[in-house]
Amino acid sequence: MPVPVGHFLAVAAILFTLGVFGIFLNRKNIIVILMSIELILLAVNINLIGFSAHLGDLAGQLFAMFVLTVAAAEAAIGLAIVVVVFRARGSIEVADINIMKG
Amino acid sequence: MSQSYLLVALPELFLLAAGLVLLVVGAFKETAAGARLVSNLALGTLAITLVLVLVAAPDRAVAFRGNFVMDGFAGFMKVVVLLGALGTLAIAQPYLRREGIERFEYAVLVIFSTAGMSLLLSANSFLALYISLELMSLPLYVLAAFQRDTYKSTEAGLKYFVLGALASGMLLYGVSLVYGFTGTIFFEELTALYLDEEGAELPLGALVGVVFIAAGLAFKLGAVPFHMWTPDVYEGAPTAVTALFAAAPKLAAMGLTVRVFAEPFGAFVADWQQIIIAVSVGSMVLGAFGAIGQRNIKRLLAYSGIGHVGYALVGLAAGTQSGVYGVLVYMTIYLFMTVGTFGVVLALRRRGQSLEQIDDFAGLGKDQPLLALATAIFMFSLAGIPPLAGFFGKLYVFLAAIEVGLVWLAVIGVLTSVVGAYYYLRIVKLVYFDSAPEALDRGMEPELRGVIAVSAVVTALFVVVPGPILGSARVAAGALFP
Amino acid sequence: MTVALFVFYLLAGVCIAAAVMVVSARNPVHSVLFLILAFFNAAGMFVLAGAEFLAMVLVVVYVGAVAVLFLFVVMMLDIDLTAMREGFLKFLPVGALIGLVLLVELFLVFGTLSVGTAAPIAAAVPVPEGMSNTEALGGVLYTEYFFAFQLAGIILLVAIIGAITLTLRDRGPVKRQDIGRQVHRERPAAVQLRKVDSGKGIG
Repeated sequence: MPVPVGHFLAVAAILFTLGVFGIFLNRKNIIVILMSIELILLAVNINLIGFSAHLGDLAGQLFAMFVLTVAAAEAAIGLAIVVVVFRARGSIEVADINIMKG
Repeated sequence: MSQSYLLVALPELFLLAAGLVLLVVGAFKETAAGARLVSNLALGTLAITLVLVLVAAPDRAVAFRGNFVMDGFAGFMKVVVLLGALGTLAIAQPYLRREGIERFEYAVLVIFSTAGMSLLLSANSFLALYISLELMSLPLYVLAAFQRDTYKSTEAGLKYFVLGALASGMLLYGVSLVYGFTGTIFFEELTALYLDEEGAELPLGALVGVVFIAAGLAFKLGAVPFHMWTPDVYEGAPTAVTALFAAAPKLAAMGLTVRVFAEPFGAFVADWQQIIIAVSVGSMVLGAFGAIGQRNIKRLLAYSGIGHVGYALVGLAAGTQSGVYGVLVYMTIYLFMTVGTFGVVLALRRRGQSLEQIDDFAGLGKDQPLLALATAIFMFSLAGIPPLAGFFGKLYVFLAAIEVGLVWLAVIGVLTSVVGAYYYLRIVKLVYFDSAPEALDRGMEPELRGVIAVSAVVTALFVVVPGPILGSARVAAGALFP
Repeated sequence: MTVALFVFYLLAGVCIAAAVMVVSARNPVHSVLFLILAFFNAAGMFVLAGAEFLAMVLVVVYVGAVAVLFLFVVMMLDIDLTAMREGFLKFLPVGALIGLVLLVELFLVFGTLSVGTAAPIAAAVPVPEGMSNTEALGGVLYTEYFFAFQLAGIILLVAIIGAITLTLRDRGPVKRQDIGRQVHRERPAAVQLRKVDSGKGIG
């Protein structure tokens, strides 16, 4: 492989960190939180495909394919929940969402 | 060959097929009566699945190219999880009717989620683990937001979703690292990889992966430090759904955690033991102190659940067969106490209104003596006071910890139990010694009565007939340590 | 530096920059657009790693479906943009610290080891020789991975049920099509014959 696996891991680590960072940073915006989760899953896929190429093993690619499928289902459910929150409340800010106190 | 494949996974296949049939039935009878019919059919489905699991051969069998394993451990945990789903679905029916959210999708989603839990307990590769985990979680996100016209329920759904999705992401990142540094996603190959080597070391990258996997599992268990929104979700979700959360998925996640750490990473007890101990201590302490000062019974039970996961993890931290045995006994007893307690909460009503505040327990002893007795049994048992079942659950996990020299861990467990006893006993005091200005409603639906009665009897009489639970738990724990 | 490596750095750089913009853009619509950019570049990296099929799936599923779904929701919900950014600066220091610690830790892990030393066991599904990527994936997807494939189908079904359960509402007095009723309508219910006297009309 022309590109060493370490490069893929580095990109994935940065994307994963950005995703986690985005969740904690955008406390007020649920849509961006959902996108941050997509970034985390993208990082996982880059990891899996990098390793798959490195090991010469198809299992990683297949795993990534299932992650893509399930992540799409997860996004659909997440957006549906965002829509019902918006209908019940008229806003989707997390900080706003605090009738209950943790 | 192909025939035996299907037989090994028969309970799950039946559950999934029944879920599809129920969906069609519900779609054609879209009325309240239809919802009731689907719910009753779902109860029957779960009961049949339970029987199928019970009559299945106890020998270890692997199916679907190593993705699926059925052994004594999976069988035992499946029975427990199915009992949890059955009990909580039964008590959900009257609640949903009262709240005006009786729709057939509820039972269908519960069936699919239960199928996910059952598959999760049989997962034998990280791929099967991930897919089953998502099959379990996705319906639960929807159920948390099931009362979609109220702020509280939708907010609970949103918080549960964000937490759950983040947990899946962490778990997956860990899985990808383990895959990359060991070259396999199958549990059996991972076990075999380090079987022959004395003092084998997990590659550092895979070890980091294990930490991420542990973090993801801690989220699903609702354990410290990933408990943040658990109380909010428990409070906001419809009470019947909260009961389901506390009973079934938590048990499935615990079964999965035990399998992951005992089987593929069983050779590296020293590496993961500290993580489990830290999570366990944190959960016990937070569960005990967080619950003090709570006014809402569902929040209180959320903290109580965090604490109980902490106690059960003490057994896993021991990393021995008797430790796993303790975890199994603990979770079984926890199931009966929790389902029973939520039954009581669902039965608590004044002028037809569901009550959720702890102060509302006042006067229960006068208005409903039998329900008050059941409440007292559950509270004493949750507090771990002998001779009730909850005491024995704690006893076995603490003994396992002491066996391997983790005396201090057991001491922390006992101390936090004492703190925890304070708020359980406060409820008993409210029930018997305080009075309310207005009487509570008398009478309750037969489903509710049945579930509370069974749970109370098991909790109270465990000391007399401990054999069935202890015996099968011992066999189940043995299956993980051949 | 080979061409492939150069292309990788380009794709990775744009991908990371786009990801930064996703979490920091002021407008959620911009965030979605940057997410699409990040996915496109990730797809390019997949191609470099020899996973062409997944690269195409990423573009079709993510850019074609998921990102568009995000756009729909962002535009459907009338979000107050000014209120959205409050608190961003408040959480920035803590968030940046957590992110930095996590990143440094991950790099330490990757830095202190070479992946090759782990002595991995033989690959479970080796890449077959002389076969395209798509063909190789298809060869095992319906056999070795049948179990996961079926369960993924069930998960998609659950997602459909869940999304409909949550968002479908009866909108009250709106006329809907009911195909069954329309087909079963009999003539007497629809047509009436009346004898009308001339010059009077129907009263």
